[in-house]
Amino acid sequence: MLTIENLEVAYFNAIQVLKGLTLSVDDSEVVALLGANGAGKTTLLKAVSGLLPLENGAIGEGRIRFQDQLINKTPPHELARAGLLHVREGRRIFTEMSVEENLISATYALTGRDAQPDFEAVYNYFPQLKDRARQTAGLLSGGELQMLAIGRALIGQPRLILLDEPSLGLAPKIVDEIFDIIARINQEQNVSILLVEQNANAAFRIAHRGYILEGGKVVLEGSVADLRRNPDIQTFYLGLGDQEDKKSFRDVKHYKRRKRWLA
Amino acid sequence: MGQFVQYLINGVISGGILALIALGIVSVFKATKVVNFAHGHLILFGAYFYFTFAVMLPEAAFMPDWVRSWEPEWLVAYRADAPSFSPKAAIASWISDVPRILLGLAGALAANALLALLIERLVMRPLLGQSTFAMILSTVGLIWVLEGSAGLIWTAEAEQVPSLGPNFPIRFELFGANLFLFSGSLFNLLIALALFAALMLVLRYTRSGVAIRATAEDQSTAYAMGINVPRVFSSAWLIASTTGAVAGAILATRTGLSPAIGLFGLSVLAVVLMGGLDSFAGVLLASMLIGVLQAMTQWKLGGEYAEIVPYVAVLIVILIRPHGFLGQEEIERI
Repeated sequence: MLTIENLEVAYFNAIQVLKGLTLSVDDSEVVALLGANGAGKTTLLKAVSGLLPLENGAIGEGRIRFQDQLINKTPPHELARAGLLHVREGRRIFTEMSVEENLISATYALTGRDAQPDFEAVYNYFPQLKDRARQTAGLLSGGELQMLAIGRALIGQPRLILLDEPSLGLAPKIVDEIFDIIARINQEQNVSILLVEQNANAAFRIAHRGYILEGGKVVLEGSVADLRRNPDIQTFYLGLGDQEDKKSFRDVKHYKRRKRWLA
Repeated sequence: MGQFVQYLINGVISGGILALIALGIVSVFKATKVVNFAHGHLILFGAYFYFTFAVMLPEAAFMPDWVRSWEPEWLVAYRADAPSFSPKAAIASWISDVPRILLGLAGALAANALLALLIERLVMRPLLGQSTFAMILSTVGLIWVLEGSAGLIWTAEAEQVPSLGPNFPIRFELFGANLFLFSGSLFNLLIALALFAALMLVLRYTRSGVAIRATAEDQSTAYAMGINVPRVFSSAWLIASTTGAVAGAILATRTGLSPAIGLFGLSVLAVVLMGGLDSFAGVLLASMLIGVLQAMTQWKLGGEYAEIVPYVAVLIVILIRPHGFLGQEEIERI
C-alpha cells in the first residue's frame, strides 16, 4: 500500500528532520508510529500527503510509493483523489462552515472517481454528527471535531488514512470510543491506517505493527505483541517502569534512564 | 424631504458601483488571503478594454457597418415618430448600440480575465507558500506596472463610451418635490446588485462555493482533502477581473475614460476595510452607507467635503471595530 525508503526531509534546505527513514504499511493494516516530540512524525505524514512544499520543506533523498506509484512530487489534491487521505494534527476543521458543509468539501476527493459520496456511512459511524449536521463546526466539542475530521476522510473513500494524533486533548473515555471506531473502520472499510500517536496504550490497542521514531529515524519496529514486551517501550511509552526496582523515576541514574537503542 | 430622497437615490446608485468594485477585492482576499491593491487598476484595464472593443474596434475599417450602428428597418420605423430626448428615442439609440455594447462587454470580460490569469500565474503562483505579505506587496508593485502600461497602450482620455443600458431621464414627483434619475444609472445599479447577489448565492449554496470557502479558511487542509487549491486561486482572480471589467465599463460611462479610474478603485479599499475584508454582506452594507453618506455630504456641505467625510467615517469605524462591520474574527469555542 505505502512504502517509504530512506526518506530524507529538510526544511528551508537547512534543518534536516528525517534522516533516512524506511517504513511500510500493508493492505488493510493499522500501523502505529510512536515517538517523542520533534522526532519527525508529523513531518513524515506531510511528506507522504504532499504538504511539505507549502511549509518550505523538501524531500531530498528517498522514495515514497503509494499503490506502487512514486508520489514524491505528487500534489496533495491528486493524492486525496487517489484515496490517500490525511487527517491532520489538531483536526483542522473548517470552523466557519456547518458540519454538513465540511463533509461536502470532502467530496472533492472523489473527483475523477466513479463514486458517490456516502454521507450516511459517516453518520452511521458517528451518530453525534448527524444531530449536529447543520451546526457551525467551530462549536463542536473536541471529540466531535475529531469525529468530523475522520468523517471527512471517510467521504473520500480512502485506501489509506494518515491519522495524526487523534487522541490529542481528549478525555480517556472519548479516546477509547474514537479508537474503537477507527478499528471498525479499518475492518469494515478495508482501509489501511498509519496512526501517529503519543498515547502508546491507545495506539497498541488497535494497531497490528508499530514503529518507534527517534531523531528522524526508525529505531525499533515490530509487531505490537513484540513491542509490548520490549522493556524500553514499557518504561518510556507504556509507563510500566522496571518491575524489579520501584524507585521513583527521578532517582534513577541518568545513564540508566538512557534508552537502550541509543547505547 | 423630497431633496433627501433625491440624494438617497444618488447615494444608493454610487453605493452599488462601490459594492461591485469591493466584490472583487473581497473574493480575492477570501480565497487567497491577499489584499489586492491593484484591483482598481484591473478595473482601469477593464474600462480601457471596454473602450477598445466597444468604440475603437467597431470603427475599424474591416468591421461591418451593423456593428457600429445597427439600424434594422423596424428600428428605423420605431424611431421615426419619437421626439428627441424621449425615452423612446433613447431606447432606439440604445438598441442600435447593442451590438457594440455586447462586443465591448464580451471583449472586456475576456481580455480582463486573461490579464488576471497572467497576473495570478506569473506573479502570485510563484509566491505560493511564502508569506502573504510578499504577495500583497507585489500587488502594490502591480499598480505602477498596470498604470504605466495602460498609459503606453491607450492615449485616449475622457472618451465617450456607450452606456450599458438605455439612458433617458426618469422624472417623478414625491413629497411635492420633482425627482429625477437616469435610467442608465438604474440599469448599472441593477447589474451591480445582480452580480453581487449571484456570487453570494453561489458561495452559500453550491459545492464550488463550499470549495472556495474551505480554501479561504485553511488552504493546506483544503488541498489535502482533494480540493484543487491553485484552481480556486485562479477562479477568485477570474471573478475579480470579470466583475472588475463590468465595473470599469460602468465607471467609463459615468465619468469618462481616464487613469483616475484606477485611483478611484484603490480608494474603494477603504470601504472594504469598513465592511470587513472577508464579509460580502458587510462590504455591501459599507458600500451603501458610504455612497449615501457621500451624497448627503455633497447635498449639505458641498463637493469638496464629499471627498473627505466618507473616509473619516471609515477611519472611525475601523478604530472602533478593527475587523470592520461584519469581518470575522476566528470563532472561539467557549
